[in-house]
Amino acid sequence: MSFALMFWALTALAFLGGALVVLTRDVTRLALGLGAFLLAVAGFFALYGFGFLALAELFVYVGGVLVLVLFAIMLVHRAKPGAPALEVRHDVLAAVACVGIVGFALMAFGQMGAVYPLPSSAGPSELGELLLGRMLPQFELAGALLLAALVAVVAVSEGGSE
Amino acid sequence: MTLVGVSVGLFALGLYGVLTRRDVVALLASIEVMLGGALVLLVGLGASRPDGSSIEGLALIVLVVVAAEAAVGLALLVAAARSSRTTRIDEMTEVRD
Repeated sequence: MSFALMFWALTALAFLGGALVVLTRDVTRLALGLGAFLLAVAGFFALYGFGFLALAELFVYVGGVLVLVLFAIMLVHRAKPGAPALEVRHDVLAAVACVGIVGFALMAFGQMGAVYPLPSSAGPSELGELLLGRMLPQFELAGALLLAALVAVVAVSEGGSE
Repeated sequence: MTLVGVSVGLFALGLYGVLTRRDVVALLASIEVMLGGALVLLVGLGASRPDGSSIEGLALIVLVVVAAEAAVGLALLVAAARSSRTTRIDEMTEVRD
């Protein structure tokens, strides 16, 4: 399958999932849309040659964050009868602001080109050397941030149960 | 141009969700869409550079930060929903009042 065909298929999947997230009233469809969107993002990573990043996206987001979202939906909406409905309040000003941002960004960054960049040749070994070498401080900082987030989640959850 | 258009379009779609949604679950999911669009742009533009692994490392750290943000945000949502009995952001007025 050609690069362009895959690119546009993933683009369609990402926009479909994103539109479900933004427009649907049903939380189950929202979670499904988020899953489709995250799968499309992982597909983009794989398409551009970043296989490890695609796997990380799959494990961390589709396998982790999406399950977390589903658990949060179950915990939060369990007391309400029937299918929980989410309100969608369409706003012309918000739409105009978003279209303006798209136009501004295309004017500002449109010349950056890279219509179809070549897939990267970087492999997992290069990434490992980078993360445990030049980017070691950032890598350790990210680990510390995850630990702090874990402690914060426990603290927030305990505080809420009192 | 195409990659920039797709990424910015996804970012704007998520931004529209952030501006129009009032339920915290939908807000957090819309923020994920915004960040996903930004990540696609980062990775897509970085793929054409010779040092692609550094972009991969940067994107990996962004993934970690976003995952931490989602975890803390959802924990805050559950705690706030327990105390205020609502998931609508405009009805959570304890801090404001």
